[in-house]
Amino acid sequence: MTSENNKERSMPVLTLTNLAKRYNRKVWGVRKMDLEVEDKEFVVFLGPSGCGKTTCMRMIAGLEVTTRGSIILHGKDITDLPPRNRDISMVFQNYAIWPHMTVYENIAFALKLQKKSRSEIDRTVKEVAAMVKIDQLLSRIPGQMSGGQQQRVALARALAVKPKLFLMDEPLSNLDAKLRVVMRTELKAIHQRTGATSIFVTHDQSEAMSMADRIVIMKDGEIVQVGTPDDVYFRSADMFVAGFIGTPPTNFFPVEMKTAGEKVELSHPRFAILISGSDADRLKNNGQNSLILGVRPEEIKVVPEKDSLLSVEVMVVEPQGSFQIVAVEIEGEIVKIVVGSAGKIQPGERLHLSFVEERLHFFNAETTKRI
Amino acid sequence: MPDTTEIQDRETKRNLTPYLLIAPVVIYYIIFWLFPVINAVGGSFLSTSLDKGGIFTLANYKAVFKDPIFWQAVINTTIIVIISVTLEFFLAFGLALLINVKFRGSSFFLFLAIIPMSLPAVAVGAMWNSGLATYGWLNSFLIRIGLIDPSNKILFLAGTHFSRMILIILVDAWQVIPFMMIILLSGMQGLQPEMAEAGRVFGGNRWQVLRKITVPMLKQTIITAMILRIIAAIQIWLIIVMIFGFNRLPVLMEQIVLNIDQYMAEEFFRKGMALSVIVAVLVSGVSFIYLKASGAFDDPGSREGDE
Ligand SMILES: Nc1ncnc2c1ncn2[C@@H]1O[C@H](COP(=O)(O)OP(=O)(O)OP(=O)(O)O)[C@@H](O)[C@H]1O
Ligand SMILES: [Mg+2]
Repeated sequence: MTSENNKERSMPVLTLTNLAKRYNRKVWGVRKMDLEVEDKEFVVFLGPSGCGKTTCMRMIAGLEVTTRGSIILHGKDITDLPPRNRDISMVFQNYAIWPHMTVYENIAFALKLQKKSRSEIDRTVKEVAAMVKIDQLLSRIPGQMSGGQQQRVALARALAVKPKLFLMDEPLSNLDAKLRVVMRTELKAIHQRTGATSIFVTHDQSEAMSMADRIVIMKDGEIVQVGTPDDVYFRSADMFVAGFIGTPPTNFFPVEMKTAGEKVELSHPRFAILISGSDADRLKNNGQNSLILGVRPEEIKVVPEKDSLLSVEVMVVEPQGSFQIVAVEIEGEIVKIVVGSAGKIQPGERLHLSFVEERLHFFNAETTKRI
Repeated sequence: MPDTTEIQDRETKRNLTPYLLIAPVVIYYIIFWLFPVINAVGGSFLSTSLDKGGIFTLANYKAVFKDPIFWQAVINTTIIVIISVTLEFFLAFGLALLINVKFRGSSFFLFLAIIPMSLPAVAVGAMWNSGLATYGWLNSFLIRIGLIDPSNKILFLAGTHFSRMILIILVDAWQVIPFMMIILLSGMQGLQPEMAEAGRVFGGNRWQVLRKITVPMLKQTIITAMILRIIAAIQIWLIIVMIFGFNRLPVLMEQIVLNIDQYMAEEFFRKGMALSVIVAVLVSGVSFIYLKASGAFDDPGSREGDE
């Protein structure tokens, strides 16, 4: 985990400046990336399919020629270096384990090319194999192994070179749900043990939230927000992030703002809510009257009728074990609410709702940016 | 134990299925391949056909082995096979690698490269024959671009034995490189690009990636391409006859055709049959040795202990 003491901010390990990639002079894979990754940090690239995560990763690895911008690793400009001179290792999405080599040879490949001594190679291979729990499989051929085992081989191969930067492109996406969660924990443990600065790509936000020191949220080839899991969850930079992070994601309500003395009133056809304090000041300073109110599903509470903001009829209930997701319709929009599992809620039931006022999000209706 | 018998029954049934499936092919082979082969093998050991009172004899084989042209043909064929297959393999591999990179216009280049393959050997032979003649188009072309003097026309077809061999190897390469290239290219396109990319990320330069990853992963494709080419190269003849005529550059297949088709005498016909049996044995022998040596018979799971 990164320490929060800003005074001791070390020099970044990786700096991307104005990085861009255009394929075939037509399609932009990445439009603009500016990012600094700190030593020992675990950074996760998160975004919908096609937003340029892989492209960015491949540029850092040197597998893709950059169109613009620079990549600095440990103070050295590596933008135009071939992959082998970059001190980077990578876990590919489809593992890319060489089928004609044994597990041992796969892991030892890079070390042999570095002309390491036989005993040193042997020691390193056994060490990383033990770390990812494949020490029993070293003489096997990858073709005879399960997906999870192959994934571990890919991981061991990448760990063996002790890189300055460790890239992982959706390494868990081919595993079944249960194994993913197991591997998530193991990966995090390995990271804590080796301290290798890592970039991890995923489009699974729960994976991102649970593993990242910082999350880089991307959309259409650009960074939308960089921040800790708490930052992106509780202080989402715009409606895209608020609507992308969280299961289920943030609910949005278009509201009109009216000043009421110190406070402001936000009115929706179904409810009106009074905002006070710093939130009110910000809204007043913003000046616009039409805006979007964002409320996370767990910040909508079921309350007694007298305390409620509005009443709705339950459409669908999705039990999730420890909690249940209730879908209701408000002004033609589906709104999802997370409710504890005590007290089964039935479709058709009437619920009285209110919002947790300290945790409301406000967005500019035109730019979608956070206010 | 009714259970066990039932399991055994099912397993037997399952084991029979592949044999039933290949049965039609086997029958086809027996009719159209095995009978003629038996006929030829039998005929090569007979003095004349059975109904004319032919008896068993080794005379046909003796005639072959006593013929100095036969030995010349063996040597020529061997040289052509070794040099042309090696040359063709490396050139085809290089071209396939190049096209696989997908540079601008690579698909047009691929189209160009395939043209020689689409021509039948007779047409290729005729084309080169008219091209290589003293007044042929190659000489005119070289004079036109000023590379040679009109008084110094190159006598391509009159050259020494050695230069004839070179010429045949080049013409053959021109025609079959595309064939090899396409087999290799399809193999390369079947590889996941990440395999080579991983090689580059983990410290390999292009040459090391080629040698340690691409080539070993293409092993099956390379074996297929090589075996097809070796067999075809042992059987080269038409192009030689088209360009030079019979007996100018003797090779095995050409001698078979010459004896069976051209001389119109039973003695030669039977000698030709003996020769075809020899060539057939040779082709199968060479293929077998090659497949064995390249590990194609190995269990896919196990592997030779290298390094
Ligand atoms: N080789 C290529 N040639 C042309 N366009 C490409 C190429 N690779 C990627 N692109 C385009 O670049 C954009 C970004 O692709 P990229 O693979 O980086 O997305 P991604 O974020 O990794 O998506 P996913 O989550 O589906 O893996 C996409 O619009 C894609 O169509
Ligand atoms: Mg991707």
